[in-house]
Amino acid sequence: MTSLELGLWSFPVLLALIFLRLPIGLAMLLVGFAGTWLVTGSSVPILAQLKSLTYDTFSSYSLSIVPLFLLMGQFATRGGLSQALFKAAETWLGHRRGGVAMAAVGACAGFGAICGSSLATAATMGQVALPELRRYGYSGALATGCLAAGGTLGILIPPSVVLVIYAILTEQNIIKLFMAAMVPGVLAALGYMITIAIYVRVKPDSAGQRDPAGRDERLTALIQVWPVLVIFALVIGGIYLGWFTPTEGAAVGAAGTGLVALFNGGLTWRGLGECITGTAISTGMIFFIVLGAAVYNGFLAFSQLPQEAANTVATLGISPWLVLLAILACYLIFGCVMDSLSMILLTIPIFFPIVSALDFGLPAEEMALWFGVIVLIVVEVGLITPPVGMNLFVINSMAPDVPLARTYGGALPFVLSDVIRVAILILFPGITLGLVRLLY
Amino acid sequence: MRSRIDRAVERLAFWTAMLGGAVLIAVLLLTVISIVGRGLIFAGLGPIPGDFELVEAGTAFAVLAFLPLCQFHRGHVTVDLFLARVGRRPNAVIDVIANLLMTAAAAVLTWRLALGLLDKRSYGETTFILQFPVWWSYAACLLGAGVFTLVCAYTVARSLGETRGRDGTRKISTR
Repeated sequence: MTSLELGLWSFPVLLALIFLRLPIGLAMLLVGFAGTWLVTGSSVPILAQLKSLTYDTFSSYSLSIVPLFLLMGQFATRGGLSQALFKAAETWLGHRRGGVAMAAVGACAGFGAICGSSLATAATMGQVALPELRRYGYSGALATGCLAAGGTLGILIPPSVVLVIYAILTEQNIIKLFMAAMVPGVLAALGYMITIAIYVRVKPDSAGQRDPAGRDERLTALIQVWPVLVIFALVIGGIYLGWFTPTEGAAVGAAGTGLVALFNGGLTWRGLGECITGTAISTGMIFFIVLGAAVYNGFLAFSQLPQEAANTVATLGISPWLVLLAILACYLIFGCVMDSLSMILLTIPIFFPIVSALDFGLPAEEMALWFGVIVLIVVEVGLITPPVGMNLFVINSMAPDVPLARTYGGALPFVLSDVIRVAILILFPGITLGLVRLLY
Repeated sequence: MRSRIDRAVERLAFWTAMLGGAVLIAVLLLTVISIVGRGLIFAGLGPIPGDFELVEAGTAFAVLAFLPLCQFHRGHVTVDLFLARVGRRPNAVIDVIANLLMTAAAAVLTWRLALGLLDKRSYGETTFILQFPVWWSYAACLLGAGVFTLVCAYTVARSLGETRGRDGTRKISTR
């Protein structure tokens, strides 16, 4: 077998292992290890590489942002900020038709601004908003669907763990990527709210009425969310303005949310222990996949597959837009069964060279930012599509009286909203790139 | 009833992770102090020299110290699609195989990390600014990697027990 064939064959083998329920990171590690051994014809190169690869991967300065953002999310969950956000959104939006669901989406967006993970956002906001939604007579389908969808805002609105990984894989500027994701993130929140407005008009019995809140109540509730605003402004503003590196920004954010949790009484020794435990398990999970991907991608580079694939696709003369659509379709399909981070780590080393070799009428860097944001949105759709949508599972497990099929159904309009938004972003790259162009 | 070994392994993984967490929080505080120092240069203060080298070394240690807990609590990402309906026993057998492979991988990684440590020590490689020997960081990481291998080996035994149905409930992690 040539090395190219080995590279090609590694995909079905890898997928088979993954579908046999091997941990994804482990599967990549094993296939990458065996593949490098076969391609180089001896075990010496891969074993030599492993002497320093583990340490080099785990001590990467750009990756050190990940555990800090995860810790920040844990502190934010402890600090009662999710309650404050939901309360504020609810007093302002709650009296509209479907308003409490819109408030849940708004609060998810706010929480996403201090938390870089979709699951954490869905889980945290679910705990706060789900009981309220049911109290005001929202149907199980709408209540769980809007929260599962709202959770995906956690990763879309910066800070975002998946964007950090994309930036490292494609050697892009993480600050510009965060900036590029900003407007699409806000559009996502607005799109979900519009979806809710349409939903409750089509199915009027799926939402109840809530009395409008008084002006004083609104202002008090709004004042309660100041820590979120301050921390978000400090972290993202500080990173954009070049006051500090993204890693330093993550440290500032974690310190800020930690202080809030401390003052709100959520950060006892026991609470701190739980924060560290949560951070530890998520960090271990993410970095093990990153390590597996490092070994696997090393093998792919040896096999020359990424360059060959890029050349082949470029010389085929297919329309670049068709190639892009095919790639996004792949993500949608894989997203149904796989988590976003593994998908990014597995596919970007192949897809990114292919897309880079095509002409979309954009400069190379802008294309990379635009492609990254679109891929991010599409892989996040996987979190709310059956059969394996982690956000759906998380929210559904909190509402024991709602059958999973109802949650699937409730999330469907939001998937549609995602698809429409992706189409708009593809047709008008300026929406994604405007902020970057303006500030650089 | 959980065995004493189970509790001992959990405690080992837990406290290793706490040590990692303490280092991560130290990294966090160090970074914040360094930023404040940099902001107060006019007042005669300054950033902590070589702070990013400490961030890198600290993160590497923390990550390896977190891996045992992740393994113990079945935190790794798997695709639970086709095997969800085939019943408990076949799944338990797959767990045994997966944990065996994980143990092998962890052992190889630990072994290579130890050799890497020896390399770095014999070259006398130091970091650029703080000039501390790189093998110190490797040594710290080796602790996490060693515990990770131990916990992996224990999870093989645990999943073997589950194939015999002794332990009753098999949890599927939702993480």
